[in-house]
Amino acid sequence: MPRNGKLVRMGLVVAAAAAIAVVVVATAGTASARSSSGSVTGAGSTFVAPLVAKWVSPVQQDLGLQLSYNAVGSGGGVSAITNKQVNFGASDAPLTQFSPTCTSCVQIPWALAATGVIYNLGSLQHLNMTGQVLAQIYMGKITKWNAPAIQKLNKGASLPGTSITVVHRSDSSGTSYNFTDYLSHVSGSWKSGPGTGTAVDWPTGEGEKGSSGVAGAVRTTSGAIGYVDVYYAVHNHLGLFKMKNRSGNFVQPRAKGIQAAAALDTHPAKDGSLSIVNPPKSKKYRNAYPICTYTYVDVQKSSGSDAANIKKLLNWAVTKGQSYGPAIIFEPLPKSVAAFDKKQIKKIQS
Amino acid sequence: MTSLDVSTDAARRPLEGRRLRFGDLLLQGVAAIAALGALVLVGLILWKVISGSRVAISQFGLAFIWHTTWDPVHNVFGAGTLLYGTLVTSVGALLLATPIAIGIALFLTELAPGAIRGPVTALVETLAALPSVVIGLWGLLVLAPILRDHVNPALHSVLGFIPLFGPPGTYGSNLFTAIIVLTIMILPIIASISRELFLAVPGELKEGALGLGTTRWEMTRGVVFSYSRGGVVAAMILGYGRAIGEAIAVALVCGAVTGISVNLFNPGYTLAAIIANNYQGSSSGLELSSLIYCALILLVFSILVNLLAQFVIRRSARRLGRQS
Repeated sequence: MPRNGKLVRMGLVVAAAAAIAVVVVATAGTASARSSSGSVTGAGSTFVAPLVAKWVSPVQQDLGLQLSYNAVGSGGGVSAITNKQVNFGASDAPLTQFSPTCTSCVQIPWALAATGVIYNLGSLQHLNMTGQVLAQIYMGKITKWNAPAIQKLNKGASLPGTSITVVHRSDSSGTSYNFTDYLSHVSGSWKSGPGTGTAVDWPTGEGEKGSSGVAGAVRTTSGAIGYVDVYYAVHNHLGLFKMKNRSGNFVQPRAKGIQAAAALDTHPAKDGSLSIVNPPKSKKYRNAYPICTYTYVDVQKSSGSDAANIKKLLNWAVTKGQSYGPAIIFEPLPKSVAAFDKKQIKKIQS
Repeated sequence: MTSLDVSTDAARRPLEGRRLRFGDLLLQGVAAIAALGALVLVGLILWKVISGSRVAISQFGLAFIWHTTWDPVHNVFGAGTLLYGTLVTSVGALLLATPIAIGIALFLTELAPGAIRGPVTALVETLAALPSVVIGLWGLLVLAPILRDHVNPALHSVLGFIPLFGPPGTYGSNLFTAIIVLTIMILPIIASISRELFLAVPGELKEGALGLGTTRWEMTRGVVFSYSRGGVVAAMILGYGRAIGEAIAVALVCGAVTGISVNLFNPGYTLAAIIANNYQGSSSGLELSSLIYCALILLVFSILVNLLAQFVIRRSARRLGRQS
């Protein structure tokens, strides 16, 4: 019995200490939030996260704003802004892809990049790939690396007989949207099968959470294949496919390829969405990388007292902020898109 | 038995014959509010979950429970795979964790030299405090490749005749990895509660048994285990509860694929993991509703497990009463 008494007393002491700690942290938190009045919070796409991370310190210097971003995935970003938990949500898929979605939001294309198809085959770093073969791999119809269809694209490369381990996203993801949109463009059986979406019923493979989850699984699995924002691919030193475009060229997801693809659609629709997947055969798109996407920031039209700071941040992001992109393979927005964005940003009110 | 009844009777009427004091009233009030609060909370959650899943229930009915498709593009949903994955991973983790946890508890109470008891106890309890996302990431990046390359092939070559241990695939994230991660997570819960229970076994009983000439193992089996059986079952249930409800760590290592496969080395999915993965950013109202339907199944499942546990504990307590 005395033991129990002691336990109870100790429990009470611990509980009291925890309560005090919570109160102290909470007051400290509100105090610091008050002292630096300018802060903007966002959540969403893991695809755009490397770019937003680059922005944090210049935004602090140029605008005096504290930018915090939580890379929870595009789906998470859209639900966070729909429920007004953040100042902005970021998504690689247009808002129309989500339900429930944010009907009181403006959608602003604020970055341009590509989805890279990555693989782990040791020293074989830049193999060729076509959309049709990729679709067959993701449908589980091609299962070995030395399958004739892959060998035909890579004459001279000694492909191993390893099994192909297919990796895809498990959470609701704009990168998945970009990737499945491309597969639907190039493969009829993909379009009528799994289809296009932020999450689909994958015919094969394993699902991982976030771009870093996919990159991590591919890095630790010999013979794995996955898809992530190009930056994650380069950052993780993984093999990166050159994708065949409709003009018949195999193109790396680098500056030139992304810029060429971006020329496909430079005038956003009324809701702000753009589509630049799989540009047609033409001299103009000769060097276009076929799996490119604009990625969007979504903001409530009436953002209350934070509106001024949000507008300040976004005006900076679509102009000066773009210059931080190329180092991590995000390409600057075309002029017409940046001009459209400025008009969209004006719609944000307090 | 009768004397026991009298004493509990007296305990139930502690205030009789005494003046009601303010402190007593306050205690009674606070305790009652706390107890009611828990009840109201569960009620509210249940109500919200049922109302949220109404759309999916009217669309798919009870067939939702065994259908195995989860296709957000064509709006076809079923929880069959998820229920199977939840059952397999939680039962697997419980089967692995229980003997190890009881071993740890026995070692710490009966066998370990005094000097190492403290540090080892602290370490086991630290394991319980590790955030699940950390265990999940470690599981994905460190544990999964080791299991896939070394453990799974070995298990298949020895136990391959059991369909559960089929050919080891190339997938690091699979049901077996999820089982191991869950085992690590529930191990400290069962171990530290069992340790407390074993410590509570009266020393006279143990000494008496040893005095009668039993070996240490016979004493452990006859005295320590039978004295704390009900409590250990309760500890197992607590651990099991964590295993069926764990979302983040499992979402990271289960492989997140629908379609039932008996082979543990293939990717799978659980109810909690699919909610964690897809609740934010669902592509349709029906998917959202289906996810809440999953939560309803999970809730009902947990309640059933708890009721079963209560039944087991009560029965074992009654048997113990009859023995004495």
